[in-house]
Amino acid sequence: MTKIANFRLSKTTSVLGASLLALMATTAYGQDKPLEGVTLTLASQNDQFGAVLAKMAPEFKEATGADLKVEIMDYGTLLTKTTADFVGDTKGYDLVTMDIVWAGAYAENQYSVDLTEWVKRDAAELELDDIYPVILESLGQYDGKYVAFPFAAYANVLAYRKDLFEAAGLDVPKTMEEMVADAKTLTDPAKNQYGFVANGQMGAAVAQDWMQYNSQMGGSILDAEGMPALNSPENVKSLAVYKELFADTAPPGAIEYDWGGREESFRQGIAAMMQTWSVGAPGYSDPAISNVVGKVGIATAPVGEGVAPEYGVGGWGMAINADIDAKQQEAAWTFIKWLVSKPIHKEFNLDGAGSFMRKSQMTDPDLLAKFDFLPVIATTYENGNGDYRPRIPEYPEIQDILGSAVNAVLSGAVEPQAALDEAQAKAEELF
Amino acid sequence: MSQTSSTGVQPRTQTPRLAWLSRPRSFTDSRRFFLFFMAAPAVLYVLVVGVWPLAQGFWYSFFRYNLIRPQRTKFIGLDNYIAIFEDRGARQAIVNTFQFTLTSVGLQLFFGFCLALLLWRDSRFNRIALAFLLIPATITPLVVGLIYKALLGADYGLIGYYLANAGIGPRTGLLTDAGTALWVLILIDCWEWTPLMALILLAGLKSLPTDVLEASRADGATAWQRFTLIVLPLMLPSIFLALVLRTMDAFRVFDSVFVTTGGGPNDATNTLMVLAVKEGLQFFNIGYASAIGNITILFIACMAAVLLLVVRRADVRINGK
Repeated sequence: MTKIANFRLSKTTSVLGASLLALMATTAYGQDKPLEGVTLTLASQNDQFGAVLAKMAPEFKEATGADLKVEIMDYGTLLTKTTADFVGDTKGYDLVTMDIVWAGAYAENQYSVDLTEWVKRDAAELELDDIYPVILESLGQYDGKYVAFPFAAYANVLAYRKDLFEAAGLDVPKTMEEMVADAKTLTDPAKNQYGFVANGQMGAAVAQDWMQYNSQMGGSILDAEGMPALNSPENVKSLAVYKELFADTAPPGAIEYDWGGREESFRQGIAAMMQTWSVGAPGYSDPAISNVVGKVGIATAPVGEGVAPEYGVGGWGMAINADIDAKQQEAAWTFIKWLVSKPIHKEFNLDGAGSFMRKSQMTDPDLLAKFDFLPVIATTYENGNGDYRPRIPEYPEIQDILGSAVNAVLSGAVEPQAALDEAQAKAEELF
Repeated sequence: MSQTSSTGVQPRTQTPRLAWLSRPRSFTDSRRFFLFFMAAPAVLYVLVVGVWPLAQGFWYSFFRYNLIRPQRTKFIGLDNYIAIFEDRGARQAIVNTFQFTLTSVGLQLFFGFCLALLLWRDSRFNRIALAFLLIPATITPLVVGLIYKALLGADYGLIGYYLANAGIGPRTGLLTDAGTALWVLILIDCWEWTPLMALILLAGLKSLPTDVLEASRADGATAWQRFTLIVLPLMLPSIFLALVLRTMDAFRVFDSVFVTTGGGPNDATNTLMVLAVKEGLQFFNIGYASAIGNITILFIACMAAVLLLVVRRADVRINGK
């Protein structure tokens, strides 16, 4: 066998080798690429930001040396796969995008690393003052502890067809009552033109959209004590209005629409109005997918008469799997800090993530040039409410109960009062 | 180890284990051993992937056991089973599953038999027709569901749009109305599986003894008499096979329902499997989902037993054996 010692190295090679070893041992080299050799696996929701995260992975490697693998999946798969990973302690994912409504379950089961101390320690670096308080609180915290850190906030806004409103001589509705009346005026089935569209599909889709309208009409899912109050008079009334909107002003197939179907019908020009997450707004001016380029206005969502103006805030936080080892956790936190840092988060949004959350972004000329609706988002965040969908551990079940009940009402199979009475009885069993 | 006593005489017996090993075995014994070891891998496989999960599912069904809330796990006896029968949605799911199974398998048997009789004669046209007829059965049920959902949508559906415009059926589409959704799902199932039923029955028809049929024809039996008195009785085993296969399959219907209606509206199309998957994989409610699974197995076993009994009775009555 040939011994390694038998190889003779030239003097220059030896010197170069020794220098390289010395350089690798220095902190200077280490700090240049502090996460060299680390691989982070991220489970991402299939929203606009998913593709942008994947696109930015090489940039993160350039900055820190760490590889970032982004696995993009739909909502149901994401919930199932990540929950299985947490419950089975399989450490499949280091980072997980956490929907605002999962916060309670994450906190109760300690699925994710409690980031509270790290956020305090790195507050200056994170520039917390530049992030809207409602976003910090609802997208990251539960009971005062950070179960995730916000990275993709969405504002509930009203998207409307400027051309149709002008032609009918209507102003943008400020109240829910005006919205219902306008929707009726703008509906003409003979022209395949409908005044309104929202999610009607059984499950999370219809539950989430109705909860949004319900909150704007003064309804609430939980009572003051935090117990379910699904069949309160306000909720029953708002569900009746929601049903009326579907029956009189929505495209016939809307009862089967989820978010994708709803956005599609608006982009196809069938619907004149819809409430939606701001994340979809850039799509309306994309001629490749939209028939209504240049005809869409974005306004703050209407609220019921006499109801204090509060607008829906939603979106995603980035959570770190509590099962992974300390070194991976630190690396994952480095990624989060990198992603939400001012310049990178601006780039993230310029690339189409639709995830605005910093105050400075609302007045940034580059962003404003591309997204003229930012002032509407700013107003929404300033009066934002991230709790109209209760972020409690029992949320998934409540959402499913409502998802069945509201869909059943829209299909005409049952009346609002009866549907919500039954839903309330089921919800009470969870507590 | 054998030991020699001080007298130099071998001890009368060895330790029992060794005795067992060294005992001369008969051919039957050896054969039995051989067969046992040959079957062992298959038995082990069935134990690991079949019996063990089944036993675990049975065990879990007596617990309030949710993966998301492991700290609340508690033995609750038969409460999960009682809860199934107390819940309106679950009761509706049981009724729907039976309605779906009985109607769709019944329709499939009728139309499958008609098809099989039409295709009985061995001609080139029939062989080609059979190949085409089998296409639906080769498509994944999930894809079939998606295709029909796309076809029946009231806004963009190739069929649904015209139906809605012509005022036929509910304005929002056939799959969104509590009165029509389950029937549409039954029709989808029939569209997909009637050819398979026909294929099984056709195989039965082709194996019928031709001499008996020819003799009956020579004796002047009418077509109807030949069918009811000769074909039908001789076909009972094939009918039984087709019915059992399709009943078990239809009772477990999931994919096509899940992607078209998700069980709605108002539980009108909820089935036991859709309910079990939702409870088990969406809410991780393992105890309750296991109970639903066990009830499903019980129902399927009961239906298979009833079918067996009916066919046996018919066989005795018709064939007298």
